[in-house]
Amino acid sequence: MTVYSLYIYDRHCNCVYYHDWHRTRRPKPANEGGGFLPGVARAVSPIPPASASNASTPYTSPRHTLSSSSGVLVAANDTQPQSAPPLLQTHAVTTPPPASYTSTGLPFDEESKLVYGVILSLRNMIKRLSGRDEQFVNYRTSAYKLHLYETVSGYRFVMLSDPNAESLRFVLRSIHTGPFLEYVVRNPLIEMDSRERGIDNEYFRASVDRLVRGLSIFN
Amino acid sequence: MAIFGLWVINKAGGLVYQRNFAEGLAQLTSNEHLVLAGTLHGIHAITSRLSPIGSSSGAHVIEAETFKMTILLTATGTKFVLITSIAEPSANTVLQKVYEAYADAVMKNPFHTPEMPIRTEGFDTRITALIGSGHT
Repeated sequence: MTVYSLYIYDRHCNCVYYHDWHRTRRPKPANEGGGFLPGVARAVSPIPPASASNASTPYTSPRHTLSSSSGVLVAANDTQPQSAPPLLQTHAVTTPPPASYTSTGLPFDEESKLVYGVILSLRNMIKRLSGRDEQFVNYRTSAYKLHLYETVSGYRFVMLSDPNAESLRFVLRSIHTGPFLEYVVRNPLIEMDSRERGIDNEYFRASVDRLVRGLSIFN
Repeated sequence: MAIFGLWVINKAGGLVYQRNFAEGLAQLTSNEHLVLAGTLHGIHAITSRLSPIGSSSGAHVIEAETFKMTILLTATGTKFVLITSIAEPSANTVLQKVYEAYADAVMKNPFHTPEMPIRTEGFDTRITALIGSGHT
């Protein structure tokens, strides 16, 4: 019994956040120009990790926060120390490097589009079949179970878990009402609905990680 | 505890048999059923590729809020789909029996063309005996 991964999509059909735990087959890093936004997840980002701290974490750098609040523009983002901030370091320890996994053979941008396509088609199918405004809840295969939770604001939370899991909608709901509201919606440095970057930041990631690891189903 | 409908989808994604039982879902035209069956065929193929751990089958059960679809994929690629209420426990057993009826009444019928719509009276009768009006 475990949880494999979490995808969050916004109402423009973009994947804005990705997190995975016990995946034994991970996607390849996303292709450049595949419609993949920066700030979704470091692990699958097309930029090599060494330069990734420049490009993908302006929100998590304390220095950047300082400079923008003081009104002084620190253009020299490359002077920023290459080591990750403390919270990210603990996260890096808990997540083993992708190299130890076999790949699914799919780049991440294609995988996330497939997931989105499946949930969109299933939603439409369920609506047509039921003839009323009924939601698609989950599906199960021999290897995994996919859960969907949709918010009124158009965000879609998708979680992949063990096939024997009960419905995990309550978890997705608590991710939305907890970490998501606290560290994304109330975070002035996150541009929601920007269509240009994801919502990844270290507090959100750490808090989602804690929440999911605390579930009885996780181990 | 109700069975709403049964689909048989051939290996190319065409709907070859469709029947409604209990009331409760939208009344769709046969054309709409064809489109939905084709969609399901495509989704089923994609779901097996999204596995986070090694190889996976396609979707077995798809759940909505008040009903679920149970899918049986046979070795030859034919899919049997049963649309039931969420609490229906017998969906898998019913599907196995439908498969048996299909083997007996359809595949053994010399006048049936494989992969074409099923117009065999014997199959209809067997299904009626098995599922009846849809209330188990």
